[in-house]
Parts: sequence; structure tokens; C-alpha cells
Amino acid sequence: MAKPIDYRFLRIFKMPLMQIDQLDFSFGVRPVIAGVSLSLSPGELVMLLGPNGSGKSTLLKLALGHLHGHGTVQWNARPIRQWPRRQFARHVAYLPQSPWYQGDQTVSHTLRLGRAPYWHAFGIESDHDLQVVQSITERLSLQDLLNRPMDELSGGQRQLALVGRCLVQEPKAMLFDEPTTFLDLRHQVELTRLLKSLAVEKSIGALMASHDLNLAAAFADRIILLHEGKIVAEGKPTDVLEPPLLQRVYGLPMKRIDDGGRPTVIPVL
Amino acid sequence: MKPWTASRLLATCGISVALWAVIAGACLMVGSTGWGWPTARELALRWPNVMVASIVGAALSAAGVAYQAVLQNVLAEPYLLGVSSGASLFAYLSLMATGPLSSILAPLSQQGASFLGSMAVLALVLALSQRRGKLEPVMLVLVGIIVSTFCGAAYLLVYHLNLRHEISFGTGGPLRLLVGGINTSLSTNQIAVAACLIFIGFLALMYLSGQLNVAVLSEAEAQSLGVHIDRLRWTVMIAASLMTAAAVALSGPIGFVGLICPNLARVVIGADQRRLLPLSTALGAGVLAIADAVSRGLTHWTSGPLPVGVLTGILGGPFFLFMLWRSRLTTDS
Repeated sequence: MAKPIDYRFLRIFKMPLMQIDQLDFSFGVRPVIAGVSLSLSPGELVMLLGPNGSGKSTLLKLALGHLHGHGTVQWNARPIRQWPRRQFARHVAYLPQSPWYQGDQTVSHTLRLGRAPYWHAFGIESDHDLQVVQSITERLSLQDLLNRPMDELSGGQRQLALVGRCLVQEPKAMLFDEPTTFLDLRHQVELTRLLKSLAVEKSIGALMASHDLNLAAAFADRIILLHEGKIVAEGKPTDVLEPPLLQRVYGLPMKRIDDGGRPTVIPVL
Repeated sequence: MKPWTASRLLATCGISVALWAVIAGACLMVGSTGWGWPTARELALRWPNVMVASIVGAALSAAGVAYQAVLQNVLAEPYLLGVSSGASLFAYLSLMATGPLSSILAPLSQQGASFLGSMAVLALVLALSQRRGKLEPVMLVLVGIIVSTFCGAAYLLVYHLNLRHEISFGTGGPLRLLVGGINTSLSTNQIAVAACLIFIGFLALMYLSGQLNVAVLSEAEAQSLGVHIDRLRWTVMIAASLMTAAAVALSGPIGFVGLICPNLARVVIGADQRRLLPLSTALGAGVLAIADAVSRGLTHWTSGPLPVGVLTGILGGPFFLFMLWRSRLTTDS
């Protein structure tokens, strides 16, 4: 019997979603990002770690083209400046650190806004727009919240609705800026787990800035550690989360506990 | 959940027009001579009033929706931003320059001056109320009111310095553009030009109504949802100022319609700008038609016709204070 062809060799032709090369950016004379290169591929969750002011948010904004630096930022091998904005919005979704919403807007209104890059003139929607909203609603179990106004939701529910808005864009990549900041412990874990499984099941490349080393250890496929605008380490959680390195970056003595192959790092206080 | 389709858009516009038509019909029953089914003569006297009030109310309310969305400020409206007063000052100056209005050109030049005034004041107010690139909602309105007061004073100064009293300004006299009121002495040309400009502005806003939904988010989010936010803000503010200017050239600055109607409509139908815009516009038309009808109905008890701006001010002042008090509650907690 003939052996089935292993198409996995085709992977070498698979291009990364996003490719950043030798990126520099400064506010005035103060360099914020220096010589950063990184890529993002479909289906992976990459966590961007680093202390406050290490350039995480700035790097995300550079990747999105909200800021422009020296060096190249490419999506699908096309420079960021050449992407028409509406088309880019169908490709990449972004959730900033503190998103705005009108208090009286309902969850269903929030979700439908994710289709804005697909709306026609006069804000006309297609049936497909609503189908996408429907399926994301079911995927995130938001059915019961659809008619609730945003300011009546708990922090976790609100963040879920905003993640839903990103998914409704049907993006190939999602960029999140510290999405778990205002959540309690359980919701931090649940949201990160959800993002991880969404990345796999929808083959979305997810890049997430975070402060939580242990969430990254548990869920990230890859960790990028930023320090003073430079990448000081990149790779699997087990490789990056080394106490001497972390001590240098965070300025605190760190201890690492390896439990079943998964590292946990804690500051020594 | 149903998609926002072209037919739903048309249905919403249809309902809005119907709502206005019912109110406007009722307003035709009221006049300075009393209540009841109008005779042909009364009808001929009343319908221009109702139409002008409706056009002006529609413009001010639609402009209110637009300013509120792109300035992300529920207190923003043409009058409180000073845009109305700037428009009226410039319209008055152009009246003084051109003299009595008759040809099609005169209303156009008056409209042009009015638009120029509205844009100049808007740019000034936005520049003055910006601090470190941020617009603070209450600061914006404060600056707007001060600039508005200044324009009012400048208007009166010009009036008192002016010796060309031979110019006919119609009912209300030369001060009719200072206190908002519905005029009966307008030429058909004047009304038609204003109506066309207001309709163009409304169409532009409706065309952008989907993007207005995104404009209320943060800039980063609006960009990520595919909207050129700066371009959108300018387009929308120009359209809203055009509508305001066109309305003010007819009636003078009428306050608070652009504040009350959009905020009431928002409570009833929610935050979706695509529905909010047509319904608020119709509500604005209806509310000002009612205010005009009331002021005509009160003629018996007042000395001369009561300017409709007096009524909207009496109602709008407390409404504004209520909004301010409520926004305090939500931002502090």
C-alpha cells in the first residue's frame, strides 16, 4: 500500500503572519524600542513580557501601524503602510489596555461593532455579519448577556464581550495589551486559557502583552522578554523563565519551581 | 438580532417622518387666533411657520447627534459649542453688507457667511478647550458658552454702532438673529436654500452613521476597526456645522434642541447611531414645531410673538443641569 504523502514539508513555504525586522522607535531622543525583530505565526500564542516601560505597548502599536518607527513591519509580507485601513481591520484585531465603550451600549451592540470593517455605506450589514456575531456569541457563551448594557457587567464579562468583538472581525491575528489586568485570579486564568484555545482552533496568531510570568509559563507557546526596548530572551517558557535573567530584568531576586515540566517563578521577598 | 439592511434603514426613516408628520399636523391646529381645525386662511399662515420650525429643529438635533459622537461628549450641541452664535453673528454681518434679500444670491451669501462663522467659532472653541491634546467635556462646553456670549455681545455692539437702520430685517427686526425665533418673513428662496443644505448635511451624516458608531470608541480602537478617525471627525464636524449654519441663518441661535432631542432618543432606542440619527432628527423637527406652536398659542398672553428660543431655553437649561449632574455622578464613581 502506498504511503500517504506527508504534506508537512509544505510548512517551509508557510509565511509568518507578521514579521518585524530591526525595528527602532524613540519618543524624542529617548529610545523606546531598539533593534527588535520578531514574527508571529498562525495558531500560536506569544506572550510579550517585561516590566513597566520596557516597550510592550509601544511594540504592539508599532506592529499595528498606530506608530511608525525605523525598520520594517510586514503583515503577509506586505509593509504595514501599504495596508488599506479597512482591509487591515479584517486581518488584525486589537484590544487596548483600557478600551472605551459607552456605558449604555449593549453587549450585542459591542459585538456587532466588530463587523464595522465589513459594513457598507450607511452602516448597512449583511446576513453574514449577523451569522458571525451569532456564532461568536455561542462560542463565548454570551447568549444571556446580549441585551445587558456594558456598565452592568462584571469585569470578566465585559472583557469577554470585548474579546468577542475582536473575534467578530474574523481576524488572522489578535493583539492584546494586558487583557487580564483588571480581572481576578480565576478570570485571568480563564481568559488566557480561552485565548490560547481560540488561537489553536481558529488558527489565529495571538500576541499578548502581559505582566504575569506564570500565566505565560502555563499557556504561552513562546515568550518574548523585553527589557529597555530590547528583546533579551525569546523562546519556550522553560528556556526564558530563568531566575538570573528575570532578576536582571525585573530587579528582584527570583526563585523557580519546576512542577511536572512547567516552571513557576516567584519573587523572593 | 436582525441585520441593519437598506429596507430597515428606509423603514426607520419612514417611521421618523411619520412621527414628525403627526406632530406637525397637530401643530397646524394651533395659532395665535386659537385652537381647532384651521381654515384655509389660517393654514396658509401657519404652515410656513411649522415647516421652518421643523427644518431648523431637524438640523440642530442632527448636528447635536454628530457633535456628541465625534467629540465623545453628550453635552456637545450647536448652541453650547458656540457654533450657533458664531453663525448668527456672521449671518447678521452679511445681512448688513448685502442689504435687503431678494435674489437667490443673497440667501447663498448669507448662508456662506453663516457657515464661515460656525466653522471659525468651532475651530476656536476646539483649540481653546484642548489641554495636552485632550478635550475635557465640561471645559469644552464652558469655552463654548463664553465664546457664544462674546459673539452675542459683538452682535449687539455692531447693532448699536450701525446706522443703516433703513435695512428691512423682517419681523423681529435686526435683533431677530440674536434671540432664536421662527420667522414668517423669510423668502421662499431662503427657506429652499437652507433646506437643501440641511438635507445634504443629513445625507452625509447618514452615509457615515456606521462609522459614527465606531467614533465613540478610543482612537486606537477606531483605527483597529478600519476607521480613519481624524478624517471622519473633520467630515462630520463640517457637515454638522453646515447644517447648524443653514438653520441659524433662518432662525438665529436656538438653544438646547440639539441637546434634549438626541439624549431623549438615546434613552428610548439605544446607542446605535444608525437609528439614533434619523429618529433624533425627526424628534428635533417635532419638538421645535411644538415649541413654535406653543409660542404662537401664547400670543394672547404675551406682548408680541414669543421667540421660540425663549421656550427652548426655559426647558433646556434645567435639562442641561440635569445632564451635568448625572455625568458628575458617573465620572466620579
